[in-house]
Amino acid sequence: MHHVVLDEWSRRTSPVHRAEPRGKLLGALAFLVCVATAPRIEVPQFGGYLLLVLAGISLAKLPVVPVIARAAVVLPFSGVFAVMSAVAGDTDRAMAVVVKSYVSALAVLLLVATTPLPRLLRAAERLGAPRMVIVVVQFLYRYLFVISEQAQHMRQAARCRGELARRRSAGWRARFRAAAGALAVLFGRSYERAAAIHQAMLARGFDGRIRSLAPPAGSATGWWLPAAAALVAVAIRLAHRMEFPWPL
Amino acid sequence: MHIPDGFLTTPLWLSLDVVSVPVVGWCGRRAQAGTDESKAPLLGLMGAFVFAAQMINFPVAPGTSSHLLGAALLAFTVGPAAAVVVMTAVLSLQALVFQDGGLLALGANVFNMAVCGVLAGYLPYRYWGAGRLRRAAVFLGGALSVFVAATLAITELLLSGIRIPGAALGASLLVFAVSALIEGTITVAVLEALERINPSWVETRPGQARPAMGLLALASVVLVTVGVLFASAAPDGLEKLAVRAGINERARALMETPLAGYEVAFFSGSWAAKAGAGLVGLALAGALGWALARVIGRRRRV
Repeated sequence: MHHVVLDEWSRRTSPVHRAEPRGKLLGALAFLVCVATAPRIEVPQFGGYLLLVLAGISLAKLPVVPVIARAAVVLPFSGVFAVMSAVAGDTDRAMAVVVKSYVSALAVLLLVATTPLPRLLRAAERLGAPRMVIVVVQFLYRYLFVISEQAQHMRQAARCRGELARRRSAGWRARFRAAAGALAVLFGRSYERAAAIHQAMLARGFDGRIRSLAPPAGSATGWWLPAAAALVAVAIRLAHRMEFPWPL
Repeated sequence: MHIPDGFLTTPLWLSLDVVSVPVVGWCGRRAQAGTDESKAPLLGLMGAFVFAAQMINFPVAPGTSSHLLGAALLAFTVGPAAAVVVMTAVLSLQALVFQDGGLLALGANVFNMAVCGVLAGYLPYRYWGAGRLRRAAVFLGGALSVFVAATLAITELLLSGIRIPGAALGASLLVFAVSALIEGTITVAVLEALERINPSWVETRPGQARPAMGLLALASVVLVTVGVLFASAAPDGLEKLAVRAGINERARALMETPLAGYEVAFFSGSWAAKAGAGLVGLALAGALGWALARVIGRRRRV
């Protein structure tokens, strides 16, 4: 699956990888706010944002082309609305949604490609995100591959039993009910797996919190890099010509 | 419809972020209420199930297929509060790992799909889920969960000043309606299959949920209706409307008054003052949401 590559990227070592996760999360949010509130697309300023992210990517020693290509997944959505805005005569808006959404996606990608997800979630929890949601995301990410693989196995098994050949002969109703049955079985297996996991975790002393082995390093040096990046972003943001703090 | 960053106007994404965090925190506590056992493993696995459900295709018309989106099905099985938490977790992971939806827009996406989608889907089930109309309630719930979420998203885009020509707007509402009908049909089929395997997986006495949930659900449906009317009446978005209502001027006054002293002290140029005031105001609003979430979330451990 294609997000496995993100796991590999986030476990490399570089100054960006070593930076404090809370700092990186806050820095990324500051960057996103600067981009989101920019009143209009001005080439020097947006060139500055782009250079800032690219500098981060190269400092993190990430493969530049794959990262740039991966962030492009936002473009189909942005493209549709950009075309509609352009047709309606609002080319500024068309430009803005494409540029802003792409630069923002690149920044989020830099964040998750340099911070392993468990550490990122822990940082979000320490910054005050609802803990229930954080713990659920941790379980979800851990078992996403297991359940997806189960779904793939079930699909393959259905094909072995002649699902593709039956597609032509069986009626729509029968195929619909077969899919519903498969989904219900997948639901049941997930449900029962959850109970088994929970019992196994209780036996190991689970109390509703997931603890990580590596304690977060408390060094102040990890804060410098994200803080500097955030300051640069704010400086670029202040260089925009302004009529109101943000466009309504 | 996952809205990326860069689409929504600042007041909109900011207020939806500020609203969504405490609501989800509250739902997390409600989901956990009444049991000593942690529900987190079950909810995490349910989220993984929603992801994996994309792989099982339902035939729609010759050559096309669709898959379960799951908000309503989750509400009928693990309960509405828990379903809100699961969908929030799914959307967070999609925003982070799959670049599907923005990080600042996460509050908006959570509001549309996880909060309003789930609650609107639960609404018919809560009132008619036990009686004769059960099947219709399940169908309607599945359909509403999709239609409400998608319509809210398009309304927010319109309010942010994204121009959508009338024909395209009509076409997208039609697409939403068709996907809503498909989701309703899939939800009915899967729920009935689930009941045949193990009836205890499905919430059988829905009338016992708190009245607050029903009210919230009703509010989300009303919000959509009002939103569509509002957005179609004001196709130029919040900007023109704000100008017409004089909100823009008032917002400026509001923005600058509490920070007037700082302007003199720290900034000299007028644009720098406005930008600074705006960014400080943004930080203040964010801090308020964070503090609210903290206060609500502190009372109970997961």
